[in-house]
Amino acid sequence: MKKTNIKNLLVAMTATATLGTASVSYAEDPIRIGGLYILSGSAATYGEFAQKGIDLAVDEINGSGGILGRQVEMVYEDSQGKASVAIQAARKLVYSEGVDALVGLDSSGVAQGMVPTMPEVQKPLIITHAATPDVTGNLCNPFTYRISVNVAQNMKAAALVAADTGATNWTTIGPDYAFGHQSWEFFGNYLKELKPDVNLMSETNFPRFGAEDFTPFIDRVMDSDAEGVLISVWGGDLVNFIRQANTRGFFEKDMEVMFTVGAATEVLSALGEEMPEGVHLSTRYWYEAYDNAVNDRFVKAYLKAYGTPPSYNAEGAYAAIYAYKKAMETAGTTEGPAVAKALSGMSLEAPNGTVTFREGDHQAMVSPNWGVSGPMHPEHGIRTLTNLQIFDGEKVARTIEETGCKL
Amino acid sequence: MKTKVLMAILAVVIAGLIAVPWIASYFYVFIFTEILILGLFAASFNLIFGYTGMLSFGHAAFFGIGSYATALVLIHLEWPFLACLLVSMGASALLALVIGFLSVRLNEVYFAMLTLAFGMMVFAIAYQWRSVTNGSDGLAGFTLGSFGLGLDLTLANPSVYYHVVLAIVAIASVVLYVICRSSFGMILKAIRQNPERVSFAGLNVRTYRLVAFVIAGTFAGLAGGLIAPFLRVASPELLHWSMSAEPILMAILGGTGFFLGPFIGSAAFVLLETWITTYTESWMLVLGIILAMMVIFFRKGLLGTAIDWWMEVKK
Repeated sequence: MKKTNIKNLLVAMTATATLGTASVSYAEDPIRIGGLYILSGSAATYGEFAQKGIDLAVDEINGSGGILGRQVEMVYEDSQGKASVAIQAARKLVYSEGVDALVGLDSSGVAQGMVPTMPEVQKPLIITHAATPDVTGNLCNPFTYRISVNVAQNMKAAALVAADTGATNWTTIGPDYAFGHQSWEFFGNYLKELKPDVNLMSETNFPRFGAEDFTPFIDRVMDSDAEGVLISVWGGDLVNFIRQANTRGFFEKDMEVMFTVGAATEVLSALGEEMPEGVHLSTRYWYEAYDNAVNDRFVKAYLKAYGTPPSYNAEGAYAAIYAYKKAMETAGTTEGPAVAKALSGMSLEAPNGTVTFREGDHQAMVSPNWGVSGPMHPEHGIRTLTNLQIFDGEKVARTIEETGCKL
Repeated sequence: MKTKVLMAILAVVIAGLIAVPWIASYFYVFIFTEILILGLFAASFNLIFGYTGMLSFGHAAFFGIGSYATALVLIHLEWPFLACLLVSMGASALLALVIGFLSVRLNEVYFAMLTLAFGMMVFAIAYQWRSVTNGSDGLAGFTLGSFGLGLDLTLANPSVYYHVVLAIVAIASVVLYVICRSSFGMILKAIRQNPERVSFAGLNVRTYRLVAFVIAGTFAGLAGGLIAPFLRVASPELLHWSMSAEPILMAILGGTGFFLGPFIGSAAFVLLETWITTYTESWMLVLGIILAMMVIFFRKGLLGTAIDWWMEVKK
């Protein structure tokens, strides 16, 4: 009744015929989960891969009775990689689409802006990709969780890898926002601890996220006396970067090259043989690294459905839906605060092993994977990873005190 | 008679706006907050565009500065909200004085290009001055304290914030309206129609244009100060030239010849965006088609066309 009034008013005011339908959820309705990913622009493949992972999980869950006897339905919004857009989109998902829970976020910048608003909407959020340590650190709150590796964990592992090389002079090339700057900061601090004689060069390189031309930065690093370079460029940018670096002979130089998210299969698939051999590549999940039943089933189903191996983003998104299934069934309800509470300290079997959301900061104890790019995979059309190292998620994580999170 | 009917319609609309949190679904509290803030932004722009005939492509500079000023004051000084808004208005007035002083001497496309260039300079500063503006990520994570004046308002409650925005936008609109209807406003209109004649009448056109530019910038700054706590972030996108295009689109969509046109344009813009993005990601395409139709067939905008139609029917 009330809703009809305002709709009439709006129709009159704007003289438009179509109206979005605001929904009210009833017990027999499906459980709705809102997905917030980058669905347009140079990083749109990440949103796409996440959607593929989620679709797989939703199909499996709905095929075996759903959650609490209810079917699961996804509603997506494009975050455009902008915090202001994502916050509005989250409000729309919660108040207009009536979602019970949220998953997503690719960009650290978006995560920093959006996470502080989660207690207002009273819905749990599981971050499946964005890696800034802040959201499970000084910005942490009872509604925000992360199922993927964060920058602090991955850079601790990176420092361990870097300390094993002979390189002393280190610099970085990273996107000019939270992720690029924090990657360098954490990497530098950990490496200095492990190997006090390293030299962290003051000349660093932060191209704009979405920059088309990386050659000035490539040239600058090649002209410097850097012996090691940490590269946190990601997504479509990384594809462009590697193509341009190839033409400049960047990889022929005697230098340790470490890509902090280089083994994302989105990037490897796009590059094929253009990804050079012998560089250090990291990922939050490598599909061939885990020997367990959940991973076998996930990788097989993913390859069958989409023809490419799953990326870490697909895996994180897939696992997040299962985390909600377990939390909602534990809580016996889909009420936001109860589900958020059930997630704290909860463990689940995910493709990358047993995943636990730490009580103190809500960060999942998941393992960064580092390897060296090897020969092409005979079937999957991407580089393989050799010398694969799986770092213990708990050992590379900051202590609760270090995170600055108070829950 | 007609004025009475128009006043009655306006009264009903205002009553409806006050009642939004009780009669509409909760989500529309956010939608209408955005409509009001962007409406004020577009109305401030229309003072120089619709009234004075200056097409600025850099109006987002003042909107963005206002948002950063409020965010910075909230983060570092934790002043009451009203004080933040005053700082926003002061900062944008100052910036408008500098940019305006250098820009209003030029006309038409040169003025448009110059304001675009200055707007992008401000954007570049916000984007690169990481230690103060937090670079491309923008400023986030600030908390809203008290309102000021000893009023006990929970600004973090979206319904309360909506009513605060409604009250401030209403007061600001009345002030803007009085300016538009004053002799000063009349001279601005005359400048749009024939600047030579105005200067032959002994008036300094450049000074009038500069004052209009500063007033418009100040109110855009106020709108910016209101948007930062609403979005919970002050980011460089708010300063980008594409943000400068929004008040232009809204003013044209609603009707540049009427004071309330930009508000109608803002409502149409935000509501269409909300509804269309539910069905497709390519809402800009739909907006483009609508705008092209408006410019070709309904030059007076939604409000102008509606009033014309009503005048015709009620003759």
